[in-house]
Amino acid sequence: MAEIGKVRIRIPPTIKRGDAVRVRSLVIHPMEIVQRKDGKPIDKNYHFIQKVIVAYNGREILQAETTQSISENPFFTFSFKATEPGTLTITFLDTHGGQYEGTADIRFS
Amino acid sequence: MTRSIPLAGVVILLAALLAVTYAQTEKAGTANQPLTPWVSRATPEGKGEMATLPDGKKVQVRYKGPPFGALAGRDFGQWPTYAYGDTRTFPPVSQVKMPAIQGDPKEGRKLFMDRAKGPCTGCHLIQGDDVWPAGSIGPDLSTYGDRSLPDQFVFNLIYDARLYFPNTSMPPWGTAGIFTAEEVVHILAFLKTQKGNPPFVLPPEKDPARNPFTRKLEYYFGDNLDPTYNPAVLLAEGAMTLWSKTGPAGKACADCHAGGPETALKGLATRYPKHVGKYGRILSIEDLLTVHAPETTGMAMLAQSAENLTMTILIKMQSNGMPVNVDVTSPEAKAAYERGKAQYFKRVGERNHACADCHQNAPGKGADKFLGGRLLGDAEKGFTKHFPTWRTNFQVVWDIRKRMQWCMTPLGMNYLAADAPEYADLELYVTSFDNGKPMSVPGIRH
Amino acid sequence: MVERVRKGQVVSRRVVLRALGVFGVSAVFVPFVLGTPGPALGQGNLGALQPEEKVDATLTRLFGNRSIKDGSNVMKLDIPLIAENGALVPITVEVQAPMTPSIFVNHIYIVSDKNRRPMNARFSLTPEMGVAVIGTTLRLGGTTDVRAIAEMSDGTLLIAKREVKVTIGGCGG
Repeated sequence: MAEIGKVRIRIPPTIKRGDAVRVRSLVIHPMEIVQRKDGKPIDKNYHFIQKVIVAYNGREILQAETTQSISENPFFTFSFKATEPGTLTITFLDTHGGQYEGTADIRFS
Repeated sequence: MTRSIPLAGVVILLAALLAVTYAQTEKAGTANQPLTPWVSRATPEGKGEMATLPDGKKVQVRYKGPPFGALAGRDFGQWPTYAYGDTRTFPPVSQVKMPAIQGDPKEGRKLFMDRAKGPCTGCHLIQGDDVWPAGSIGPDLSTYGDRSLPDQFVFNLIYDARLYFPNTSMPPWGTAGIFTAEEVVHILAFLKTQKGNPPFVLPPEKDPARNPFTRKLEYYFGDNLDPTYNPAVLLAEGAMTLWSKTGPAGKACADCHAGGPETALKGLATRYPKHVGKYGRILSIEDLLTVHAPETTGMAMLAQSAENLTMTILIKMQSNGMPVNVDVTSPEAKAAYERGKAQYFKRVGERNHACADCHQNAPGKGADKFLGGRLLGDAEKGFTKHFPTWRTNFQVVWDIRKRMQWCMTPLGMNYLAADAPEYADLELYVTSFDNGKPMSVPGIRH
Repeated sequence: MVERVRKGQVVSRRVVLRALGVFGVSAVFVPFVLGTPGPALGQGNLGALQPEEKVDATLTRLFGNRSIKDGSNVMKLDIPLIAENGALVPITVEVQAPMTPSIFVNHIYIVSDKNRRPMNARFSLTPEMGVAVIGTTLRLGGTTDVRAIAEMSDGTLLIAKREVKVTIGGCGG
């Protein structure tokens, strides 16, 4: 997949201070599943996202430890209360050392 | 100025008119005759060519991944296809005497639910908490045993239902050789155990999802045009690189189509598939790219290639929100529409199915009913305007041709090349039902 | 609203280090990654995966014999009743509980009983979120109960679960 690590983040078009902001993200990733041979799992370096880190203005607010039971091209969503404007960063870390990031600027209207 | 036209001149004029008319008829082809054979410009698997194995057996080379991969090595060469030159028909109705063996209901139930055969539960509901997911195209057989029908009648019905119902959707299981006569006896024995207590009365259904007549499927794939729900939207962004890429002939799409896709291509896709005189056939956007891209830029865009699918999505997105508007009235389009309609009702494959069997809203047909767990679309309500679509089950894009190729493969037909004129005519027919409805590409589906 | 996408950007070291260590105030340290990926050639990361086990073993491993209370009156578990395929099953979990420094939802575990490796994901939340809403898309091996287990910062465990029926076609699809 040439596009591994491509990230898209969506936030609501208008946000007021104190709103619970619903954030959605998609990242292109194979989330490789365990292969089996003769009924036994094969030991190989499976390529999947194992950690998702969400930071707001440099402070970590949420993380997820993830497995191959998360779909290919995984979708993540969460809500958080925006008490100050700033930059939201979502970082995806995979088992092959890949680090993929997306950001969104939160401004109040 | 002469007042009268010389007779010779009239004769010449008439002869010329006749010659032109004759030539046009020759070129357009008659309703079900092939045009000049089309050379496929699809990927190797997209073509579905036949390969010969070392033992001399012929098999179709199909796509490797799921779902086609599960049928690798199965050859359906003996069964009728959509190809215009293919005039074969399914074997005629056959009737055999029921073998005088003891039917085993347990064996019959296994056969009834065997996914390598029917499964019969794909269309018919039976008793059992383990029955998941039965379909609703055929009658509910949960109390079939209470009907006390004659054995030979039920046997005949399963062996070849056409004996009693000439236009049935039920595959001729015995005539096709999918079930042996002995297996049909076991199934019959099983069906006779499907009784109520009292007759025709079953205990209340514990799970409304189990019963296809009460089952509800909710749509949960999200907004198909939102890149955080639909990876196809995110991946289509890569098409802009292709748009600006200079091909071997020294030109890029961008060079001729000024102003970017949103300007140059707005509304274009609403008119496809359409008859293109230069090629003498119906072309979809995917088909068009296979010839247009190399002719202008020198870039190949083989049918079913990633470039073709991505570029098709880019082109079609420029018409999102605009109503589908395919021509079905001009002479060439009308002829193609009629050919496509004939295809839609043509019976093909080992199961002797037509598109209509699943997608027509009529008694005994499948539209808006469950085939196993799948709710079947009604063709006349229109189900093309979201193609190409993301397939969540496989995490890939399918165009409508791949969808057509898959439809009949598990039903026992070797597919035609993705860019085959036969599929294009069929696509025109089914697309016509979307005329007036807004496009929304790429879709997202199971 | 500006969205920027950067591929392969080096994340701030501080953020990554905090993430890889014990996170938040938790009554019990629950190991998630069991081993370390094998560096040697040919040796994969199979040993570092969540184990293949029955769901009861998963729950015991994660929570010992701590009581898990029914959380259905404070938890909203949004997941389809019938999934058209097991490849992509969206799940959203909302815990209607405070998110303050003194008491907050610390972790949300997602467990799918019939998956070979029932432990699917662990979300670690902070009071800064203000609300406890998370979601993702799951791969299910087949029809199964899916559980969302919320762990409060004081150790209280709450569960909501639903059966998801994974469906299949009638003739090959």
